[in-house]
Amino acid sequence: MPARSCASTGEVAQQTGPAKKMKHSSFKPEARWDRAPLPDGSGHQNTDSVDEQIEVLVLFKGTKILPRIFFWNNKAYKIKKITYNWQERFGRETVLYFSVSTGNDLYQISFNNTGYNWKIDKIIN
Amino acid sequence: MILHVDMDAFFASIEQAINPRLKNKPLIVGSRNSRMHTVVCAASYEAKRAGIDSGMSSAEAFKICPNLEFVPAEQSKYIWTSRQIFKLLKEFGFEVLYASIDEFQIDIRDTQNPGLLAEEIRRKIRAEFSITASIGIAKNWLLAKLGSKLNKPDGVTVITEGNLESVLGCFPASKICGVGKNTAAVLEGLGVKTCLDLYFKSAQFLEQNLGKYGLNLYVSLHSIDTFDGVGEPDEPKSIGHSYTLSRAIQNPQFIMAWIRALSEMVASRLRQDNWEASTVHLWINGPEIGNFRAQKAFQQPVSDGHEIYQRCLKIMAKFSPKIPLVRALGVSCSGLAKSAYQQPLFREQKRRGDLLKALDNINSRYGDNSIYPAIVQLAQ
Repeated sequence: MPARSCASTGEVAQQTGPAKKMKHSSFKPEARWDRAPLPDGSGHQNTDSVDEQIEVLVLFKGTKILPRIFFWNNKAYKIKKITYNWQERFGRETVLYFSVSTGNDLYQISFNNTGYNWKIDKIIN
Repeated sequence: MILHVDMDAFFASIEQAINPRLKNKPLIVGSRNSRMHTVVCAASYEAKRAGIDSGMSSAEAFKICPNLEFVPAEQSKYIWTSRQIFKLLKEFGFEVLYASIDEFQIDIRDTQNPGLLAEEIRRKIRAEFSITASIGIAKNWLLAKLGSKLNKPDGVTVITEGNLESVLGCFPASKICGVGKNTAAVLEGLGVKTCLDLYFKSAQFLEQNLGKYGLNLYVSLHSIDTFDGVGEPDEPKSIGHSYTLSRAIQNPQFIMAWIRALSEMVASRLRQDNWEASTVHLWINGPEIGNFRAQKAFQQPVSDGHEIYQRCLKIMAKFSPKIPLVRALGVSCSGLAKSAYQQPLFREQKRRGDLLKALDNINSRYGDNSIYPAIVQLAQ
């Protein structure tokens, strides 16, 4: 919320009548979190982690990247729906994450825009 | 007019959007992976209805609702979504401010139909992210924020001079941001029960009974806010990190490793914004000691994790020669001033400065925590 300073009773009349300027807060979404992975790996591990390279057929639509089919362990998985997507920066690299549904199952796959490689990160329960 | 956007159960809603199986189910997002040894970061509305809310221990939440779904928090999703919503709101052509990771404020000036604008914002957020937001609109940020809470989830409340009495009269004063349990009890003792009762109290009355806070509350409730010539962001007063361990631990190496890890996180943020801090604070919580807080001001300001760590150890040694049983701990720095470059007098100081620069460059290029002090490994 915007920070504001204390007022004295005498100032109140002046502050309540006319418009009052608000201040930018110094809030940054990143600052809410411990940015570095914590030493015990809390919140970063996943028991369903796969972390394997995959091949992906992708549609580039405007500025959007839409994975359509991924190939993992000699099997093709047709993506019926991208339920969510987000990005994360690791130093100079950006990783694009997609949670994708094949109908019965849900997977998290990711694209590293520096290494130009796709991975299956995990099976989402 | 200020329009306040408050995302509904933000982290939990994102997890439900990612995994449709979790929709309409009681769900908690835990701050760490261990489902029975963590704290609830966010709860879905289904979980909230069962009496679960943020800040509760997960063990307690599972006791209330054994069929609760659990997902560990993954910060990148929430940060990215927050940034995207901020961008989306900017596209409406008004000035937007961050209030928190899941709250945004917009100065919509004298927009003719603010309710329609709110509907359009909600529609776009839902279409783009499959999550919902509640919106409050009023003459100032405090009433707008209150409005966003009155019709949750997925609702809009416009507070105007015309409906102010009927809206504020229906809700307890504790609904207003900043009126906590203690203040609400004081107000109740004074006969101030509803938001409307509070609204109609004079500045003198509130100052007499609540001090400066009461006066600020009065100003915030009655002002007409605008972003015109919005000022620069407030400079932070302190920078800190804290962490709750999965259980109470007494192992000195482990505790010291954690203090070092937190010191490094704080130092990294200090250096990133070119701050130096003269005061170091240490907070330790444990079953035997309760909350131990101590701080010490030093003549020489710092932005080096090792130095902050050493100062924390000095603070702790004064408190007790023996490491207590620790459940949670935090390190923070205040007395911040912009770092003024001075040619180091001693060779060792220059070497240390060069080393920090090199470490920062490596972490900036390859990602946070690519390189860190070996002692931090002991916290694993």
